Amino acid sequence: MPKTNEVLLKLENICKYFKVAGGILKAVDGVTLDIYKGETLGLVGESGCGKSTLGRVAMGIYPQTSGVIEYEGNAVNLKRGGNRFDYAKKAQVIFQDPYASLDPRMTVSSIIEEGMVIHKMYDKEKRKKRVEELLELVGLNKEHANRFPHEFSGGQRQRIGIARALAIEPKFIVCDEPISALDVSIQSQIINLLHDLQQKMDLTYLFIAHDLNIVKYISDRIAVMYLGEVVELASSDDLYKNTCHPYSQALLSAVPIPDPKIEAEKKRQIISGDVPSPINKPKGCSFAGRCPKAQDICRKEDPKLREISPQHFCACHLVESKM
Amino acid sequence: MEKNKTVVINNKKKDLPPERVLDIENLHVSFDTYAGEVKAVRGVTLHVDKGEVLAIVGESGCGKSVTAQTIMKLNPMPPARIPEGEVTLGDIDIVAAPEKAMQKIRGKTVSMIFQDPMTCLNPTMQVGKQIVEAIKHHRKLSGAEAKAEAIKFLKLVNIPNPEERVKQYPHEYSGGMRQRAMIAMALSCDPLLLIADEPTTALDVTIQAQIMDLLNEIKDETETAIILITHDLGVVASMADRIAVMYAGKVVESGTNEEIFYDNKHPYTQALLNSLPSVDSNKRDKLVSIPGTPPDLLAPPAGCAFAARCEHCMEICKTEQPPEFDIIGDHYAACWLLHPDCPAAEERGELNA
Repeated sequence: MPKTNEVLLKLENICKYFKVAGGILKAVDGVTLDIYKGETLGLVGESGCGKSTLGRVAMGIYPQTSGVIEYEGNAVNLKRGGNRFDYAKKAQVIFQDPYASLDPRMTVSSIIEEGMVIHKMYDKEKRKKRVEELLELVGLNKEHANRFPHEFSGGQRQRIGIARALAIEPKFIVCDEPISALDVSIQSQIINLLHDLQQKMDLTYLFIAHDLNIVKYISDRIAVMYLGEVVELASSDDLYKNTCHPYSQALLSAVPIPDPKIEAEKKRQIISGDVPSPINKPKGCSFAGRCPKAQDICRKEDPKLREISPQHFCACHLVESKM
Repeated sequence: MEKNKTVVINNKKKDLPPERVLDIENLHVSFDTYAGEVKAVRGVTLHVDKGEVLAIVGESGCGKSVTAQTIMKLNPMPPARIPEGEVTLGDIDIVAAPEKAMQKIRGKTVSMIFQDPMTCLNPTMQVGKQIVEAIKHHRKLSGAEAKAEAIKFLKLVNIPNPEERVKQYPHEYSGGMRQRAMIAMALSCDPLLLIADEPTTALDVTIQAQIMDLLNEIKDETETAIILITHDLGVVASMADRIAVMYAGKVVESGTNEEIFYDNKHPYTQALLNSLPSVDSNKRDKLVSIPGTPPDLLAPPAGCAFAARCEHCMEICKTEQPPEFDIIGDHYAACWLLHPDCPAAEERGELNA
């Protein structure tokens, strides 16, 4: 359940299309989401389902093809001449690959400082102090400030990436698979850090990941995406206990659980085939081609996301509403 | 390498059980770099029996891939070296085998599936041709027969419409299908041992489930032994018969699947399993994390490699490497805590014991 009812970021009918050879690639196709203040919204799905694209639209890297983004009630205009620059001060991102996302020729302090320079925050002295504070906040030493990224391990680099995202005191952070490039023993360090920071600084996360165990652990609510659409949205406990959409069911059952007894008893629901191409998507429900329960209606009509029980949304013709 | 250069086959130094496929004894592998000697593998002892799945688990840089690559001698030598140790595959002494002999062994006696199916297939060659290439290298078959075999194996790994697919190029395959094609290629000469090096890491969960299902089928239907290298403990739990946990170039604990998951003895194994969120854990309880990072293998510590990160660390751990202590049957762990003279937790002054 969201902690407050105050909506921080409102995404309404967001579409992001890319023109490619052979047609239009509908990476995000009509997503409506409310992100509440102080919550962690998990976004899961297979690669190519548009979850990273949605994250990038939400934080203003890609201008949306259509749809409205509202931050605290004010529309965000990502087009030239819009308020993208001001929005960037509120929304930051932590990237997946800590090796590729830090400029190898910049020192740690200049990496962290850059955002503050661009947004003209503080004077030189104060910025230096702030970099040191940030480094300590994310569990590094202030002596690290003058080193270069190659001197750090993957986990430490990810901490630098987090310090950079926090530098301009954003309210909303898109975490785009922040732990999937890290080792298991380091993953939990970063997860704990993100969690502590959220409580300390009242941050709101959009947490994109494909590791469903981690997503369940960290998220308040989870949205499951398939081929550019949100197919199910619920609180994380509810999603795991009362999974409604056939795709979410298959996705959750496919996750191997690190416990041999559970694994031996579990009946894995294997969906055949691959995700269809988002170029020239089929008519009707996008999952119909792989869905074991698909009916005629699924191939004809696109199901809409509807509330089937309080705060539990699902886009499937075959799920009955309990409302 | 100098001695036994010509004698490759039947130079067994000891009697191994007949079902033993692979026996690694005290293997060391080092890489000579400009910075010095990197001791990637520092005394690994392992064995794999017919039809069994051994999972090697560990963080990146712990030497699990180097161990596997040494079985096939895929590491270029130099810079790699095998200062000591024995690797016996079937009845072949791998350490002494010259490159010529290895070419006959690779793909036939032992074959490998790699992590990234995108980069291990030749993009300019039809998938079928690549499988035929492997078959023709090891088996005396005509072109048409080899092609029929290739189709048979593509069918075995559940590629739909293999007669058509055999003529396609890797870019026409999806990620999961490429991995299937890799598996078909690896199985095409009926190897004794299949090494799967992170076979599902690059794939999505639903595709991962398909590939794991396929590997389980292969395990049931053929006698091929599988070494599964991974860091995903979920994959291990669902597939492995036995597990070897590696840390900083050594096997720190080895035992059956149940023993490692439910009756683990080594603090590293315990910490690794505790650091995963369980099914019912939620945001309110903090994840247990292992502080610090693995040691630098350019200068490995004198004592136990995990000592610096271990919450039970004692004086002896810092100075002397722990030997392997047998627990029950095949289950052993290398930790001083298992020494009969080790004082109880209260005596060591641990509060959280």
